[in-house]
Amino acid sequence: MLLLANPRRNAFNCAGVWRKRLSTINNTKINHEDCDIVIVGGGPAGLALAAALGSSPSLRRNLSITLVEGGDLKKAEGWAPIPGSFSNRVSSLTNTSQTFLKSPSIQNCIYHILLTSTTGIGVWGHIDEARTCGIDEMQVWDGISGARIAFSASELNLEKPELGMARLTENFNLQRGLLRRLKDLPEVRLLQQTKVKSIVQDVEEHRQWPLVYLENDRVLRARLLIGADGFNSPVRAYANIPSFGWSYDTQAIVATMTHPPRGAFEGPNTTAYQRFLPTGPIAFLPLSPTASSLVWSTKPQLAAALLACEPPVLASMINAAFRLPELSVRYLHTRILEAQLSGTPITPSEIQQEISWREQSHSIDQHSIYASANAAATIGMPLEGSEAVPPLVTTLQPGTVASFPLRLNHAEAYIGEGLGARTALVGDAAHTVHPLAGQGLNMGLGDVESLARCIENAFLLGGDIGSHTALLPYAQDRYLENHILMATIDKLHKIYSTDLQPIVWARSVGLEVLNELDSLKAAIMLTAGSRTDDAQRTSATAWNVVAKGVETLVAAADASKILAGGLQNLLSSNLQRLLNTEGAPGQQKRV
Amino acid sequence: MSILRHSARRFVRALHTSNATVNADEIAHFSRLSSQWWDHQGEFSFLHKMNPVRVQFIRDKLLEIAREENDDLDIQPTHVLRDLDVLDVGCGGGLLSESVARLGARTHGVDASESNISIAKVHASADPKLSPPSPFLSYEHTSAESLLTSPKRYDVVCSMEVLEHVDNPASFLSTCATLVKPGGHLFLSTISRTPLAYALTIFLAEDVLRKVSSGTHTYSKFIKPNELIEFFQNYRDPKVRGLIYNPLLARWHLAARDAWGGTDCNYLFWVRKPALESGDGSAAS
Repeated sequence: MLLLANPRRNAFNCAGVWRKRLSTINNTKINHEDCDIVIVGGGPAGLALAAALGSSPSLRRNLSITLVEGGDLKKAEGWAPIPGSFSNRVSSLTNTSQTFLKSPSIQNCIYHILLTSTTGIGVWGHIDEARTCGIDEMQVWDGISGARIAFSASELNLEKPELGMARLTENFNLQRGLLRRLKDLPEVRLLQQTKVKSIVQDVEEHRQWPLVYLENDRVLRARLLIGADGFNSPVRAYANIPSFGWSYDTQAIVATMTHPPRGAFEGPNTTAYQRFLPTGPIAFLPLSPTASSLVWSTKPQLAAALLACEPPVLASMINAAFRLPELSVRYLHTRILEAQLSGTPITPSEIQQEISWREQSHSIDQHSIYASANAAATIGMPLEGSEAVPPLVTTLQPGTVASFPLRLNHAEAYIGEGLGARTALVGDAAHTVHPLAGQGLNMGLGDVESLARCIENAFLLGGDIGSHTALLPYAQDRYLENHILMATIDKLHKIYSTDLQPIVWARSVGLEVLNELDSLKAAIMLTAGSRTDDAQRTSATAWNVVAKGVETLVAAADASKILAGGLQNLLSSNLQRLLNTEGAPGQQKRV
Repeated sequence: MSILRHSARRFVRALHTSNATVNADEIAHFSRLSSQWWDHQGEFSFLHKMNPVRVQFIRDKLLEIAREENDDLDIQPTHVLRDLDVLDVGCGGGLLSESVARLGARTHGVDASESNISIAKVHASADPKLSPPSPFLSYEHTSAESLLTSPKRYDVVCSMEVLEHVDNPASFLSTCATLVKPGGHLFLSTISRTPLAYALTIFLAEDVLRKVSSGTHTYSKFIKPNELIEFFQNYRDPKVRGLIYNPLLARWHLAARDAWGGTDCNYLFWVRKPALESGDGSAAS
């Protein structure tokens, strides 16, 4: 029936020959498997992408989807923490991210499902929600001037303020949830403990498709190869996509902190705190009534010295870093570094003595919230203003203290072209960002949502999902938005961590600080993912506003009105220089 | 020399031509052209970006009809093209044919240019889902007129961006309409004859931006939507939808129905052949 017309019979006869030819190539040369989508990397972004693609009925029924991960995912899948203990790697999930992780809304379940976006990938039900913590309030202040802003979920005009501004979740909890979700989606193939040996281009048959050689000698030929393979992305290297960035000369210390619960008259432990010290921001992120997570960005040598001390020293220093005036925090830093250099690390009692002495010299009342040794704080009436600082840390959960270097990195493109065609990058493979706004994972999940929607749209219109035309909407949707966000975070980091005198002086007398903090407030408010409805577009616009705010600061326009002529030039040129020097000299490089 | 000949022979076989006497140089030439037709960022990038919108128009129109006729809202958009016989007249490098074939239609692409057909074949052979002997996609170097001699008729006939290039549009339209089964669908896309169309498709695209080779379009050959509607006056309720390029997003989209000026430049046209053959389009005056 197919072969009615003569020319077509010819076509099919020759097709038979063609087929044989193909199979000889297969048998003698490369024994590859054809895959529509190959995801490299089983971190949160890669797993979320696999779950998102698998959650689309049309994609999972019609496309072959394979995820390759070198590590053992069973560890994350079988993660069984002791109740009350928490992993040191946590992320703040915005409401937008949470909506994406939840189940498809009823509206989408009607036949429109194929026409609408892939909102809701059914992961949230697999996340142990009892181990997560909604954030109702944030307190952010400048380490030098003490200028402070506080904002809460109720003032953000959220659709559901009871959900909080964001939700802190252990990364393991999310990863385990994603793996459990993937168990329901057998169509998505997981190849774990399988390293990628190399990626080369298929030169046979003019195809130019990526061939992924696996450790076990299997070869996958991908219509679309997605790199969710982290900062040193092999997929990005194959696609020949340059990336630019710099290291911040900053190390982030993380730990799980235990502390007494908030008193009966205080609010619950659902407030996040962040103080901007000149060495970097220190953040206190609540996980449960008696446990919170630390992210302390500081100079590498100081981080090394702190990690070399006994854990109680670090606990005391955390309390001091949230409470003592900047001058004294700096003194304590010097003291620790000197002790470290002399070969006798400072002891817990020595540091406590130093702290008490500093408190006395600042006339800090031993019964005030700024005293570091106030054991009775949680009994009876709370101390005045007790919500201005986090609870006093008593111990650090053993085995949770760790550190890693911070850097900024952005790929120059999210989709490959030319010889590197049929590739796309998501998550850390595309961008690495300073954690001060808690955006890294949310950006990755934003990529995943957008790419999954882009692939589905192309598929539903018969497109070749690996083609540039099919993938272009993904790059258009994400690149600029991520770029603006990253630039804003980068500039905030630089403005707050400078020790350039004119700027420090301007900050210490309160000039500009409120402006800066407003930018920061807007930035962090947006990390709340604002509304629970489709707020993606709004947030993009709002980031632009934030970026503008920072740009205004860069121009130092307001300061110039207040300051006299000469000083004005000095300040603005220094600000410009600060924001133009990308990291310390010589550190900027293209990777 | 013998090495050269050997590799050329391999090359020829690899290209699965039906003709054993095909010249290796020619094939190499087609391959070079192929990379242009299928260079998503090259000269044909506008067409590549337009393609999903054309497919959307076809798919949604068929979906609308299928849901209406079967009184079933659960019919899914990916299913409407399944198992239909589709003819793509003037398939070029096969942009539309490949998409329609991926949606499950038995697609036959024809083009008057032999090199276009070779290009389309080479490209499809690289896709494991479309490469021969896929039942979904076949190509043939022929004209629409010569298909009339075969009894084969199609559920859907498409001819995209072709009408403005033919010498006798009335006869071409009649041919296309004849190739449609009774109750089947004819989809066209072309450019209207308006000052706006001249400004955008010839002056801007060819002369100023040079995105499209000069001489690609001739203003006098452009056809207005009303002329098409009039041509198919014996058919029930033909539909026209504007196709608008947004340079900021670098994307095409369908103009809102009845948008003012929406069909002043590129537009899509759909008409359904009556189920009982009461006219075959030759009713044109």
